[in-house]
Amino acid sequence: MNHIERAMAALTDGEADRLTTYPIACGVNRKLLGDNVTYAEWCRDPKLFADAFVAGQKYFDFDFAIGLMDLSVMAGDLGAHVRMDDENTPFVDKYIVNDLEDYEKLEVPDIKAGRTGVLIEGTRLFTEKLKDEVICAAFLEGPLLALTQSAGAERVFMDMFTNPSAVHAGLETMTEFDVQMVEAFSETGAPGLVWDYLWGNYSCLGDKEYDEFEGGSKYAGKLNKLAVDLGFANCVHNCADLPHLDTQIKKFKPAIYSMAYYPLIPDSPSAGETIEKGYADECLLAGNIDPQFFIRASEEKISKVTADLCQEVKTALCKKGLNSRYCIASGCEVPPDRVTKLENIKAVVDVTKEEGVLGDC
Amino acid sequence: MKVSQIAGFLGSGKTTALMKIGEGLVKKGCRIAIVVNDVGEISIDSKFVEANGLEAREIAGGCICCQIAGSFAETLVKLHEGFNPEIVIVEPSGVAIPWGLKRAAEYSEAKSDMSIEHAPVITLVDATRIDMLMKAVRRLVETQIREADVCFVNKVDAAKAEDIAKTEELIRNINPRAEIAHLSSVTMEGMDLIYDIIVNRISPRYDDAVEEELLRKEYDKRG
Repeated sequence: MNHIERAMAALTDGEADRLTTYPIACGVNRKLLGDNVTYAEWCRDPKLFADAFVAGQKYFDFDFAIGLMDLSVMAGDLGAHVRMDDENTPFVDKYIVNDLEDYEKLEVPDIKAGRTGVLIEGTRLFTEKLKDEVICAAFLEGPLLALTQSAGAERVFMDMFTNPSAVHAGLETMTEFDVQMVEAFSETGAPGLVWDYLWGNYSCLGDKEYDEFEGGSKYAGKLNKLAVDLGFANCVHNCADLPHLDTQIKKFKPAIYSMAYYPLIPDSPSAGETIEKGYADECLLAGNIDPQFFIRASEEKISKVTADLCQEVKTALCKKGLNSRYCIASGCEVPPDRVTKLENIKAVVDVTKEEGVLGDC
Repeated sequence: MKVSQIAGFLGSGKTTALMKIGEGLVKKGCRIAIVVNDVGEISIDSKFVEANGLEAREIAGGCICCQIAGSFAETLVKLHEGFNPEIVIVEPSGVAIPWGLKRAAEYSEAKSDMSIEHAPVITLVDATRIDMLMKAVRRLVETQIREADVCFVNKVDAAKAEDIAKTEELIRNINPRAEIAHLSSVTMEGMDLIYDIIVNRISPRYDDAVEEELLRKEYDKRG
């Protein structure tokens, strides 16, 4: 099978030759463009952004390509200050929302300018080059994540209780921002769209609060519908410790659901448990190798972790009578760090090719 | 290098306590760096830092361990290579997961010739606002208490006795294994205990704890 045939089989739980794999290697791919490309350059230049994904595909031989830049793109274009280290993930170090009135003042920026413009054009470029080889997807922050990046998560969570109308005003702007981004991504040719709906997380919000501030029809519901109406395979990524699986899988009905696993957090669901509870009946699950292994583990260690995960997943799929509904991935982004071991990313892909082979149960 | 996390929700008195703790440990002869959340309660006073022989850095108030992991690890490397502190006291964002911060700290070992150990995770719980916090951000407060090795009921100088008792009970219900103590940055109650915890006690490393937990689960599965 080629990558697209295998991915299509996994999306529909058809028979596939092996499990699919996509360690979420995005910014780290820039290392394949030479020593001189910094993160700051990569995330400001659509051609470099796209070239890195193309180089990553050639080197690692993934089953998907997902255009994650970082989580400060929208906040930065709204006016928040973003700290841009040469070799680390950029992050907001000065918020744009500093009092209640500021929520109302947020305005959707020109999405063709700034880093949103880089993200859209970069996604178009890598999709153009990779579309015949793998399923490509754009990546976008959900409205609550974009708001917490702009205002600070602690402030937003407190304001949800003390000043909910201000938070809703901010979320309405973020949702409109997302609407414009989805429409722009629909012109890139990418068949998939991945949402980061991080705050659907029981460590932070209960079902009622999540429904009010993201999961309901005004925000995520509207955006998910728009994505589907525009023909995207609508996908969700959530690297939190205790994700709202019922809402984000059963209600949102994504094509792919990407999640992490925190063995030290009680009730954090493992791959096997998630399949066992029926979530792989609903969509293609993806996870959950600990990102730290891409920096700190030996190649031998990460190979063993990958082989063990393949075995766990295959056993659980068999028990549920499923074929191929799991993608060996990394739960969170592979750290885009100068010391990240490219050989460990390659090891995950290569071990999945061997240990993820599917056959009779 | 030892990393000591002092967690707590926004307004819990973390930054003030952290400055006092840093100052006190320097007076006891320790080489201390402090890493504060740059969108936290108060800014670092550079004159205070200089006058007290501390070294200070800021990290993003980022919500997500994977987002800030790289920059936090880089901060530790720079501290190690420059100031070389014995102990780094960190004020994470109120939505950070302590295990995630431990994991991020251990990343730094791959970037420099250093080894990381952890002091017990300390969570400060503001007794003066406990009812409001439990109404507004209950899950976040519970998460921070659940992840703590030691919980300090903070601002005991200003809190009513019944609120202190209620806070203690809450902590016991959420995390029965956590040690509970009182703290005041005004009267300095509890400071000697905090110094002792940070300097003399150790909390498990992330990588060791994960290995142990995965092995335990494997044994459980095999019966």
